[in-house]
Amino acid sequence: MKPQSEARRNEAGEAMQILIADDDPVTGRMLEKNLNKWGYKTLLANNGHEAWQALQKPGLRLALLDWMMPKITGLELCQRIRKISKPNYTYIILLTAKDERQDIIKGLEAGADDYMTKPVNFLELHARLQTGRRIIGLEDHLLKTQKRLYVLSTRDNLTSLWNRATILRFLDEELEQGVRQKTPIGAIMLDVDLFKKINDTHGHLAGDGVLRGIATCLTENIRLYDKIGRYGGDEILIILPNCSLKNVAKIAERLRSACAKNKISIFGKRLSATLSLGCVSSETMDRPSVDRMIFACDRALYQAKQEGRNCVALSDPLADYRKGTTHGKKAR
Amino acid sequence: MEKKPDEAILPINRAEVLDRIGGDPGFLTELLEIYSQEYVVRVKELRVAVEKQKFQTMLELGHALKGSSANLSLPGLRQAAADIEMAGREKDIQKAKDSFSQLEKEFERLKQHLAQFPD
Repeated sequence: MKPQSEARRNEAGEAMQILIADDDPVTGRMLEKNLNKWGYKTLLANNGHEAWQALQKPGLRLALLDWMMPKITGLELCQRIRKISKPNYTYIILLTAKDERQDIIKGLEAGADDYMTKPVNFLELHARLQTGRRIIGLEDHLLKTQKRLYVLSTRDNLTSLWNRATILRFLDEELEQGVRQKTPIGAIMLDVDLFKKINDTHGHLAGDGVLRGIATCLTENIRLYDKIGRYGGDEILIILPNCSLKNVAKIAERLRSACAKNKISIFGKRLSATLSLGCVSSETMDRPSVDRMIFACDRALYQAKQEGRNCVALSDPLADYRKGTTHGKKAR
Repeated sequence: MEKKPDEAILPINRAEVLDRIGGDPGFLTELLEIYSQEYVVRVKELRVAVEKQKFQTMLELGHALKGSSANLSLPGLRQAAADIEMAGREKDIQKAKDSFSQLEKEFERLKQHLAQFPD
């Protein structure tokens, strides 16, 4: 039975590319012609150095490497490629005139996935490449699942913001970095004013829509390197790296104003909602921690509610601690 | 006079190589052209290596020629190249000289054969 010519496609629907690394142009041309006939795209390298350049490309998933090549041998290439971090696995078939058992073991131990002796039997090569594609397919499936699981475990499923566990982890990491780099970390805790009333008046689906609309509006108005997550219910936490309390207040006011003007279309109605925001910056703390930051901005949020909602309140825990009080101060 | 065993064997096993490349005689002609061009370059380097007794170069060039000769089912050239590779490995200059001379004879045989039987 002869191998059928059929398109070998990757996930993006492009023909799969195979690196042929062989200093013998006869072998190179024979492999190229057959692989093209079977629907693969080919990339030729005449020596180990050229092959190494090609192997480092992320899109290259299949390689046929000759054992004995000038500059870098196929064996060394296997060892090198297994040492570097690549987003995807490269399936390697080592080609050689060597057929001693010891050589086969040496090749596989160096990181080759398979092994063929020259002259190459093309029916066998066709079958072995299918094995390679099967392994690549399994890896793609695994990576896709891993990506989906990452999204499921880190994102809030209603708003697509970071979930509570993730945003708190980010806060912890940012605080650590802030200490190392001696930069202040800001945080805003906010919630939707009279959110229960929106739910009671328009229904929970409308309430969900309002939360999604607010999440979009906030995401559009924060800085690129800020992080935003759903803390719980209608409470949202925003982390602002390298941000003094003064700047946290400015950003909070920008967010308040943008969301107050924003109309959210839900079931043919145009709803709007206002926010109360509590701000803190680690510059005001002796020993900043996640708990202290949350406590402080939560308290400032409470202060904003007390001040009549739709406003920004600042917390200054160090001043409060010194004064022995628990009051925040209103910024608006 | 009885022929020596290496002369009794044809310089190319056409049936075997055609089977390997899918029975395409045009492609075989293309591959033989590539082989001949490569042979000229490698033999030049090999001659220098034998003259200067560079055994590692003999080993590498012998190995490369052995591979491409085997791919095209050229048994005489494959054997001579394998002998050069071995001479390089064993650092045996006399064997290297003899094998090199044999390699050149085998290439001449192939050229004559292809001229006589182009298809």
